[in-house]
Amino acid sequence: MKEIKAIKYRWLINISTIVLVGLAIIPLLKTKTNSDLESYLPEKMPSRINNVKIEEVFGKDDPTIILFECEDVLNDSTLKRIQSLSKEFNRMDEFDMVLSLFDAKNIKGEYGAMVVDPVVKRIPKSENRKERLRNEIRDNNLVYKLIVSEDFRYTCIILNSSGEASDEVLMGLINEQLEAYPGNEKVTLFGLPYLRAEANEKITRDMMILLPIGLLIMFLFLILSFKQKRGAMLPFMVVMFSIVFAMAVIPVLGWEMSIIGILVPIMMIAIANNYGVHFVTRFQELRAENPELPIRQVVSETTTYLKKPIILTGLTTIVGVSGLITHIMLPAKQMGIASAIGIAFALILSLSLIPAVMVMLPKGKIVKHSLGRETSFLNRILSEIAKVTTSRPRMVIYFFVTFLILSAFGLTRFRLAADNNKIFPDDHPYNQTLVVADREFGGTKTINVFFDGDIKDPGLLKNMDRYEHELEKIPEVGNVNSIATIIRIMSKAINDPQDEAYDKIPDSREAVAQYLELYSMSGDPEDFEDFVDFDYTKALLTVQYRADDMVTINKVENAVRNLTKNDDNVKIVGGYSLIDKELSKAVATGQVNSLLFAFIAIAILLIIIFRSFNAGIIGSIPLVFTVLSMFGIMGWLGIELNIATALLSSISIGLGVDYSIHLFWRLKKELKEGSNYEEAVRISLKTIGRGITINAFSVIIGFSVLFLSSFPYIQSFAFLIIASLFLCLIGAIILVPAICVLFLPKFLKN
Amino acid sequence: MSANRQTLKYITMKNIGKIQIVLLISCFISINAFSQTAREISEKASDAIDFKSMEMASTLKILDGKGRERVRQIVTASKEFDGVIKTILKFTAPADVKGTAMLIYDNKNTDDDMWIYLPALRKTRRIVSSEKGKSFMGSEFTNADMGRPNLDNFEYKILKEEEYDGKQCWVIESACKNEDIEDENGFSRQVSWIEKSTYLCHKIESYDFDNELLRVHLIRDYRKQSSGGYFAFYMEKENIQNGRKSIMTIDKFQEGSSMPESAFSPNMLDK
Repeated sequence: MKEIKAIKYRWLINISTIVLVGLAIIPLLKTKTNSDLESYLPEKMPSRINNVKIEEVFGKDDPTIILFECEDVLNDSTLKRIQSLSKEFNRMDEFDMVLSLFDAKNIKGEYGAMVVDPVVKRIPKSENRKERLRNEIRDNNLVYKLIVSEDFRYTCIILNSSGEASDEVLMGLINEQLEAYPGNEKVTLFGLPYLRAEANEKITRDMMILLPIGLLIMFLFLILSFKQKRGAMLPFMVVMFSIVFAMAVIPVLGWEMSIIGILVPIMMIAIANNYGVHFVTRFQELRAENPELPIRQVVSETTTYLKKPIILTGLTTIVGVSGLITHIMLPAKQMGIASAIGIAFALILSLSLIPAVMVMLPKGKIVKHSLGRETSFLNRILSEIAKVTTSRPRMVIYFFVTFLILSAFGLTRFRLAADNNKIFPDDHPYNQTLVVADREFGGTKTINVFFDGDIKDPGLLKNMDRYEHELEKIPEVGNVNSIATIIRIMSKAINDPQDEAYDKIPDSREAVAQYLELYSMSGDPEDFEDFVDFDYTKALLTVQYRADDMVTINKVENAVRNLTKNDDNVKIVGGYSLIDKELSKAVATGQVNSLLFAFIAIAILLIIIFRSFNAGIIGSIPLVFTVLSMFGIMGWLGIELNIATALLSSISIGLGVDYSIHLFWRLKKELKEGSNYEEAVRISLKTIGRGITINAFSVIIGFSVLFLSSFPYIQSFAFLIIASLFLCLIGAIILVPAICVLFLPKFLKN
Repeated sequence: MSANRQTLKYITMKNIGKIQIVLLISCFISINAFSQTAREISEKASDAIDFKSMEMASTLKILDGKGRERVRQIVTASKEFDGVIKTILKFTAPADVKGTAMLIYDNKNTDDDMWIYLPALRKTRRIVSSEKGKSFMGSEFTNADMGRPNLDNFEYKILKEEEYDGKQCWVIESACKNEDIEDENGFSRQVSWIEKSTYLCHKIESYDFDNELLRVHLIRDYRKQSSGGYFAFYMEKENIQNGRKSIMTIDKFQEGSSMPESAFSPNMLDK
């Protein structure tokens, strides 16, 4: 027998593998994490372009919010604490804007004078003064429900980063100050810098915990399945090496680790052992069948027999996960590319390194259960399945169709994630604060309307004022603010209630200019920076609202667009909530694209491999069944399509199709050797069916470690991938055999 | 109308004069630490440049660091009546604020009284502002630049002596004594370059709470007046941290004012 290349060049293979993996470790050590989802969005996304344009004029708005909760925030000790903290933060270069009760302005008329004071100028010493302050705050549009909640139980300090320090440093500074000025208030943090810092920490934590546990579980599973050290060690080695290789791809291509990046090594744990597992299964089978064969021959035969199916199943998996490359989000692309490369590496190692090492080992013991003859639980189940599928194929198909229809009803309840920042569990302080901010303040979502023109023009200001009033009528809208709000406040401070000009945008440009000039004499030049630019040619109207679903986001956005559509001064409608919305849409589009790509590519591959159109159709049936059922189940269970769950279908298609390929392969072999379809199904299920099931469970166990992740996103991904692999498995070992028995496809006989 | 014009002609900018007076005073004050009589010297110096009565026209340019600017033209008149320095200030440009006028009574022992007249509303209003660290008319100049500093609030020290712009100068540091004073003034310390022969101040650096350079204030074009005092015709103050800069130039200056006390009253602002 001719010696296979893996045996001939075994030393070269061993050494070059070690060198390659060693080299891959170098970039791996330089991997950076970046949890900022927005930073991964393509720059050409319209909502992102809009935000950049707005940021060019009004600066980057990236606030951290410190929320204080107590009985009454106007009590002496709370105010003192906030005053001290605000003073400290104001002194720090790391923040370019500090907004608290002691920084926000109160513009009022007092004894004929216009006074611009901090909202709390002096901490009230008497009940009387406290109540006066409370009333002042209630009347202050720039503070009430923005810095103080409606019921005065919450207040906040808003800090805008000057962009000099990292999120982690900022959080360190904030926590340091909170400890330096302790108090009885319940303090929580909020805002993207906090979210990012927290997520970065959790990404690292996840890696530290999930990876070792995942590897350990996989190793135990392999030991239990093969009852032989080499059977566990060799696939395990492939897993380790391909993790290193796949993870190194991220820094090598200049990327950073995102939340999604956590999935890459876990995917490797789950998938990379597949090929090794098949190798060991076949090796043990041959070894048990022919105890006298020399090891070289066993290894050669195993490799020759498995080369084709392993390459084919590997290819389909690679093609499936490559579907993610069509995704608009970089983390999804990253995952597609990194895991495709990792899987390719695992595939190569399984056909080169495993035989190369195996041949250098002693023959080893014979593992009996590998012949599938004894009556283990799995074997019993498989033979039951074989019985049912061969005797009542129609019933099997009806059962699957019913299941599909029932779960498909769930599609009507299928939802897109409305908030891509809800990455933590519901009981995480971040999400609790989100609830408070939505309930007690004006909401956590913003839309910005960008005006270009002569901002002092009363016509333009009156339009702004009208939009504000119209938008405030929408129940979900909490606050609408702009320079027009401020001009009106000024008009109240300057004029008496009986004056015609009171609480109104003035009718002449001069009057507007003079109001502002008057303000500049007692206020700060920076006070309006968020609303109008230096030369009064650009202005921003901000709409703050609350929304839990896409319907509300669309409602508010449409209201804004309809109101402003004929206004030539309105140049941009932007804001973070619109980016978030586009992100969700992009996730959905990405889902459809990658799904289509994977389906078509895999169907074509099947057609080529088995030289039959029907192979493409029948092979795709379990996949279509799985994907449709999964979306239905997501609808039933209320699991939203988000950046993590959207990755699901490409991966499950890529993996799930392997089961059908292995089955077809074996069916073909049995049919060729003279069996009829029923017999071929029975034998195939007993032999390769066992391999497929063990393989599927090893993948499921690999992915199940993701349940330990800190991110519910990742946990729901784990649930869904496990469920869909299970569906793929039963599709391949129950549905496909039933179809084959019923329709007797010819391609299996060729 | 003609009366209006005449008044305008006489109104010059008190506040701007005031800034310069104070700057000069603070420069002289800095010498306190140098000898026992430093405080006396500074007081004498302030007397020597006492422009309690004057008229002038000036231009205030506010630049945002990105090349955009706002220009205000202002005329000021200032005169002392019974120990109270009264100042009228009126905008002459740009057009949309033209005619806006301010009246300030610089009371010795109480807060200043200020009124403003807005022509578009035909109304005179009082305005109140107390914080010294706050911007003056949206410029880089602050209200602290305009008031007489409390000498006891600072600790003075001569850092070194050096030549600045061809003049032998003392380099004097004045540091706020505590955080409250820092917050009130908007800086932690200042360093001033004071010419030895004339006691004129040419440059002041202000440092923020982290002791980083915040603003640089340059005073140039000192011109000797008939009374013997000096008056600076050019000042600029730049915020180093955000690039914003304000420039004040004196277009016209005259010592003394012939305006009657009745012209310095709130109900005359619309005239």
